[in-house]
Amino acid sequence: MAKVKEMLLPKDPRYLKYPLEAPFDKEKAYWIAFNCSRCSVCKWVDSWRVKSAKYARICPQHTRYLYDSHSGQGKCDLARALIEGKLKWEDDPEIKDILFKCTMCGGCDAMDKGIRDAELVKLYRWMRHEYIKKFGPLPEHKAMIDSVKQYDNVWLQPRSKRNSWAKELKNLGIKDLNKEKAEVLLFVGCTYGLSQELKPTIINIAKILKQNKIDFGILGDKELCCGSPPEKTGLLEEFERLGTANIKRFNELGIKKLITPCAGCYGTIRVEYDELPVKKKFEVLHVSEYMTQLALDKKIKYKKEIPVSVTWHDPCHMGRLGRPYVPGKDLDGVYDEPRAILKSIPGVELVEMERIKEYAWCCGGGGGAFTGFKDFAQWTARERLTEAKDTGAAMIVTSCPWCESNLRAGGIGMEEKMEVKNLFDLMMEAL
Amino acid sequence: MHKVDRKSERHQQILKVFQAAVGPENVSDAPATMEAYYGDWLPPKTLGMSLPPEFVVLPDGTRETQAVIKICNRFKIPFIPVGSNQWSLTGSPNRPETVIIDPKRMGRILEIDERNMYAVVEPLTTLAQLHAEANKRGLYIGSPEASAQSSALAGHLFQGMWGVGFRLGVAYRNILGMEWVLPNGEILRTGSFSQDASCGFWGEGPGPDLRGMLRGYAGALGGVGMVTKMAVKLHPYPGPKVWPCEGRIPNQTSTLPEDRFKWYIIKYNSLEEAVNFMYEIGRAEIGGVVQKWPTVYYIWWWANSNEEYWETWKRRVFQDNVKHAVGVCLWGFTSAKQLEYEKRVIEDIIKETRGKPISQEVFDLWVPRTANNWIRDTNGSRMMRPSGTFLALRLPTDTLKSSIDVCKLGYEWVKKFSPPILDCDGPDWIGGYDFGHFGFAETDFPVEKTPQDLGDLMNKLLAMTKEDLQHGIENGIGPFLGGPYHAMAGPVFKYEKLLKGIKKAIDPNNVSNPPHNIPVD
Repeated sequence: MAKVKEMLLPKDPRYLKYPLEAPFDKEKAYWIAFNCSRCSVCKWVDSWRVKSAKYARICPQHTRYLYDSHSGQGKCDLARALIEGKLKWEDDPEIKDILFKCTMCGGCDAMDKGIRDAELVKLYRWMRHEYIKKFGPLPEHKAMIDSVKQYDNVWLQPRSKRNSWAKELKNLGIKDLNKEKAEVLLFVGCTYGLSQELKPTIINIAKILKQNKIDFGILGDKELCCGSPPEKTGLLEEFERLGTANIKRFNELGIKKLITPCAGCYGTIRVEYDELPVKKKFEVLHVSEYMTQLALDKKIKYKKEIPVSVTWHDPCHMGRLGRPYVPGKDLDGVYDEPRAILKSIPGVELVEMERIKEYAWCCGGGGGAFTGFKDFAQWTARERLTEAKDTGAAMIVTSCPWCESNLRAGGIGMEEKMEVKNLFDLMMEAL
Repeated sequence: MHKVDRKSERHQQILKVFQAAVGPENVSDAPATMEAYYGDWLPPKTLGMSLPPEFVVLPDGTRETQAVIKICNRFKIPFIPVGSNQWSLTGSPNRPETVIIDPKRMGRILEIDERNMYAVVEPLTTLAQLHAEANKRGLYIGSPEASAQSSALAGHLFQGMWGVGFRLGVAYRNILGMEWVLPNGEILRTGSFSQDASCGFWGEGPGPDLRGMLRGYAGALGGVGMVTKMAVKLHPYPGPKVWPCEGRIPNQTSTLPEDRFKWYIIKYNSLEEAVNFMYEIGRAEIGGVVQKWPTVYYIWWWANSNEEYWETWKRRVFQDNVKHAVGVCLWGFTSAKQLEYEKRVIEDIIKETRGKPISQEVFDLWVPRTANNWIRDTNGSRMMRPSGTFLALRLPTDTLKSSIDVCKLGYEWVKKFSPPILDCDGPDWIGGYDFGHFGFAETDFPVEKTPQDLGDLMNKLLAMTKEDLQHGIENGIGPFLGGPYHAMAGPVFKYEKLLKGIKKAIDPNNVSNPPHNIPVD
């Protein structure tokens, strides 16, 4: 080892090992921004994964707004200028668009992690938080934020409504974990719990779990928002309030597993909660992960054939943002499980889009875009639907309420229709 | 730093004229947007040597680009044309009122002619995009070691020192036609485009080969206008229609079909022996890729994290195994039999030159994750990972033999200036081109990205470059003469007068990325 001592290594220890454990503060934000080399991988699908000229882009914001400022590289440059004091937050109203007309999908972040150790999405979140501290929540997000603060959900609905779907299933005997014990908590999430459009999905999931004799329960109207929308839109204090309350409650319940059908809730509880001071004492799974084994073991008894060609849309928060970051390790996520379920359904043929898994194109609904910047969100969705159509599939299947809703909204007015369906609704059709 | 007065009458007037030319949404003067257009891995931004542009303009097509350039002439403001804008290199503004012409609305592949094997592309189209489309048709194009997300068009105007250069030569020979807006706003069409604006199959003329005005090996660096459309050669490709890639980022691997592609990494006792092997490969006219990489390249491209990089470096995994090694990828262009023939030839050469394959362990470690980057690069941007940046000494093109001398000079410099140069085991990259007819040497090394270290080293490098120029390391440096080299060393080549004459003739207002291609003011 004598030679090691003679080696001329970087003086800054962060070049020797990425400071994963360090708090994400101004210093860390600057480190990431300063070390951007303008290599532009944040703008394109990894070169080895490019299958056509048409679907070579990874960043919806950069593809839509074109200027480099609206890319990962541009946000690094902006962060650097703001931190170095070359630019002041109030100098340019464009800063708002650069920061918030972004779906926080992590496409740039994933491609960047292929070539350096960094966390671009966390940098954006820090920048959004700094912006909110200066100017307050965006007017475009205000109703959603007020709703979270007032009702603990994002949809301006009274807490009592959260359980209305379950009331339709009284005969199933779903456990109320506020009163009973179960090993598995089905965390429904604001959107599946409160959206009329998506209500059938959560009903189907509960039915499938019951049919397979899974010992699970729900929190009903006592369930709180997971904190994802405030976290993504820069209200980190609100995220901390909700996240901390949730972890404490889940730990108290003594559950072994938390399962959720919402990709947003999944990514937040599984990954983002790790930043909170209270630690989880339970495993977090997407419902598709939980059900995969049932499907593969053929415990799920399909009764009907569904002769349809489908393509799977990977929700960002189940995929590339669905695991804690460890530099050098695979950007794993829930990729294979929903595909395994689809393949288990009789008659279903799965065809893949060009951009999948960690290099998937976002639906456009994340990061506050669905609520605040509908034009951009729906433009992004149309790009995805076009890619789905190019596979020849008749249906795009996913398992994220934001993806589903935004893809449907984006599809309105498109000449060729593409059916958008939830994975568990498709399963139910075959049962 | 120069402060832009956005409320001034002049600024507002220029803004309105640009808006009228390309549409209001395609012009920006927003300070936050300007911040995104003057930095990269090179030191100028960190050392405060570059400044934000005043406008970024996004024209669509040749006519709009022409309008933008004419406006720049009218107001006598400098413009810088960029490609995919991966790294700005010499595209960072260094003068007030600079306009960046960003081709984000020009990313189309206008044509791929399979039979005549060429493609017509716009400036934003990346090499990865073109590679993917060409592969589908049994064709390919190279990509530089700067990653395939760089512009195919701009890559052909710059060095074009791609991994497959041993087979294809440098990229400029690939240019078959250009539609080119000169600095004064006139449109010039070259090669086939001069006869028929819709297709390209012939590169020279009419008359003298005008590619030389744009190229001169490493390009005019934006100093002679903007090419808005280019026809480039494609070449027969024996690989699959979709690039093979397994695994997840950052641990992806790529393995091409064994019956058509075969990698060898053969090590020698000295740089001289390694280069001799490259000559012999060239003499036998075999191989698709022939490269002598420095040790640091093996790990720059390979390591998946900073920790893996430095831990592996400390264990000397590559230093003890790949020093003076040459990587060769044989391609069975026409058939599997061709590959079998080439294998027999290379085995004979290895035996005759007393080469030894690197250990199977290191081969298996490195090849699947890394080797095919020299056919379609995706990991090149990892060069900045372990220390924030790297710098390069000398980039001459000469005979393969003279590359040895350049690399050895590089060793001396690294020894002399370490620190701030970090551990790198000698910067000795030698690329073989045109079956060994010439070599390209580049001496790259990691340096920590701190203003102090970079500033210190930059001063030393500038002094060294001046010394180089005065002492005759000439070939290949010429193309970079335009800006910094000329400013540092003064006129050292006789063609300086020719370059100045061209620049003055086509850029009377000196607005096309001054001081490139040659300082005239």
